[in-house]
Amino acid sequence: MLTAGAMAGGALSGLRVVECGSLVAAAYATKLLADLGADVIKVEPPEGDPCRWRGPFPGEACNPEQSGLFLYLNANKRGVVLDLRSASGQERLHELAQGADLLVHNIHPSLMEGCGLSWPDLRKGNPRLILVSITPFGLQGPYAHYQATDLVAWAAGGLAYLNGAGPGSDDLPPLKPFGNQAEFQAGLNAAVAALGALFARRRKGCGQHVAVSMQECVASILELTFEYYPYMGLIASRLGQKPIQPLDFLPCRDGWIFVCCVEEHQWQRLVELMGNPDWAALEIFSNRIARAQNWDALKLLLSEWTQTQSVEELYRAGQARRIPLAPVSTMGDLFRSEHLQTRGFFAVLHQPSCKAAIIPGAPYRFQKGGWELRRPAPRLGEHNAEVFAEIRSNHG
Amino acid sequence: MDETRANLDERPLGGIRVADFTWVWAGPFCTLQLAHLGAEVIRVESAQHPCVTRLLPPWPEGQPGLNRSGYFNQYNQGKLSLALNLKHPEAVTVAKDLVRVSDVVCENFAFGVMERLGLGYEELRKVRPDIVMISMSGYGCTGPEREYVSYGPAQVPLSGLSSLTGYRGSPPMHVGISYGDPTAGLHAAVAVLAALWHRERTGEGQFIDLSQWETTIAVIPEAVIQYGWKQTQPERSGNRDPSMAPHGIFRCAGEQRWVAIAVRNDVEWKALAQAMGREDLAHDPKFATVAGRKANEDEIEAVLESWTRQRSPREVTEQLQAAGIPCFPCYDSRDIAQDRHLRESGFFVELDHPEVGRKLHLGIPWRMSETPCQVSRPAPCLGEHTERVLREILGYPPERIAQLKEAGVLT
Repeated sequence: MLTAGAMAGGALSGLRVVECGSLVAAAYATKLLADLGADVIKVEPPEGDPCRWRGPFPGEACNPEQSGLFLYLNANKRGVVLDLRSASGQERLHELAQGADLLVHNIHPSLMEGCGLSWPDLRKGNPRLILVSITPFGLQGPYAHYQATDLVAWAAGGLAYLNGAGPGSDDLPPLKPFGNQAEFQAGLNAAVAALGALFARRRKGCGQHVAVSMQECVASILELTFEYYPYMGLIASRLGQKPIQPLDFLPCRDGWIFVCCVEEHQWQRLVELMGNPDWAALEIFSNRIARAQNWDALKLLLSEWTQTQSVEELYRAGQARRIPLAPVSTMGDLFRSEHLQTRGFFAVLHQPSCKAAIIPGAPYRFQKGGWELRRPAPRLGEHNAEVFAEIRSNHG
Repeated sequence: MDETRANLDERPLGGIRVADFTWVWAGPFCTLQLAHLGAEVIRVESAQHPCVTRLLPPWPEGQPGLNRSGYFNQYNQGKLSLALNLKHPEAVTVAKDLVRVSDVVCENFAFGVMERLGLGYEELRKVRPDIVMISMSGYGCTGPEREYVSYGPAQVPLSGLSSLTGYRGSPPMHVGISYGDPTAGLHAAVAVLAALWHRERTGEGQFIDLSQWETTIAVIPEAVIQYGWKQTQPERSGNRDPSMAPHGIFRCAGEQRWVAIAVRNDVEWKALAQAMGREDLAHDPKFATVAGRKANEDEIEAVLESWTRQRSPREVTEQLQAAGIPCFPCYDSRDIAQDRHLRESGFFVELDHPEVGRKLHLGIPWRMSETPCQVSRPAPCLGEHTERVLREILGYPPERIAQLKEAGVLT
């Protein structure tokens, strides 16, 4: 029912979440909840979450209180240190879990029992608990015990194979995207499943164990490529031709532009923008499929023209004609974007331990109970005394 | 009544109805998550302007058809389809009737399209005051560029992800899929669920503004933060990692066979060197620390690849996983379809579809112990559930349905 707390805070205020997260996946899942008001307690080992060593750092040196990725993922949370390899650490984790709605972790299946993350035990202590386990390959099946990192999960889910240099450059390896994208995808799916399990609990009254597989999360976003195999017996690869063109990067005099013409009218307007060159009327460029088949030639012709243009002018001129061009933005471009500034997208994270950090802000705007930055990321073990005092007073 | 209704009600979102005005990939990926959780998702679509994914391959036997695309059929599993030509004024009334009995409205048109159709939030809250509505446009509903047009593949360069992705010293690259779409779709699902949670506690619905551009930036925080501090951004570095080495995708025996290997620490490096039979490297102080391995990464990668080239991805994986090192073949779609682990873990879905038969589809990437979720039905044919929705959910009498059909509203 309606409570004062529910009225005042974010959409998820009142939810109590414990996170045993390493690097990105579990931490992003609980960040999504924390940013909407959930009370998240992050449990770190004595040496800290390895994310504290990932950077970027404001200075030259690594400093576990200044890792940009850690600060982004863990702002709005409180932090405690527990040694889950010890009996007393596990006991304390169970105390936390007893008062929690959710426990989200990405500890490897082979270490779960040894870290006090046995589902039967946790459930005994709190039948309403929802345990969310994010693991590389799920909890069951022949590879459940395999190790993976972000890169390895990206490859295992089939995405790496789709990207990299195109036709004629088959000695270059498949290429991963920047950052920790498999981990972010797993974190997003875990947040969806965790919230789903909360609705299930409202209906059925019981908690449950939710297992999220990073490999499956990656395979879930293969777009149209996976079904080429079951539907047509074909295998999509980075070395093949794209089904339609233009859908590619072209050089401008001051950077790169992504030229995207999906519909015929978009191509026609691009041709107009180029001043109707004679070659545009050639049969070999007459539709999006023909343009893909003759892309080598077309790319050269288009590049000759784009090289005389500036990215900014071409982008604006294209959008004015409803051609979905996009600049290849640098971080500087994003910071200077009037649009993003007007929307107030970037947020400033004031962190006592270092220079303020500019971070990506609200990924969605609510009218009520939305994204909010309430507190900095915790120093290692910052809230041990506070959190366990709360637990003792609740027990008393 | 639906034969699976009883089961649906056991699922987490049983009883929640979604009026789904989305199209292409971002929006349907959001509503797919809600369908996975048991919501009744009704896609409102029209043969007059079909979803792009119905028009793209792959098609069985290469034969196109609105209900034959593997792209559409993958991302619309578990949903119903209501054919409604929204250009027709009568259709707007029907759409509002649907919203009146729905909990959630999702759309990912360009900014302003729903308003022009007469289906903006202010109109819809009149018929359903506690509706949760999410708009997932490319640029968001405010700001000077809100009218700009955007397709999923363009979000990758626009967000900055392309400028960070690529081989060392080479131009920016794509990431292989329209990555902005699923990233927006999952963020949208989180937002909808949180807003439903808020509604359960307060009785209030609301409008949510999501920009695909912003949700894509949300997953590259390292680069954003570095720029804020140092006015520089990370160099494109192929498959390498700033704090792990070796870390890459290496060629194996066979045509275009590759394996991904990541060495997280010094212990794993030693184990890797030993697995390769290179005790000398395991004890070489030059490679003992990550700093040393980063400084000599070209050399390490050459040694490692000369070893992987003699072996299949499977052999390399079995050997290195046995030594505790993260490693896996670079799977293609056939590898995934045939993977015994994914088959045993129950990831795949094979349901009878009236036009394409039983085809292998990817299912739900998580498992729930107490309220198991399964894809309950294949993707709908266009308009497959029009009659049923109008009759059973909206309670229209047969004469009304006949009249709408006659007037060309239901196409």
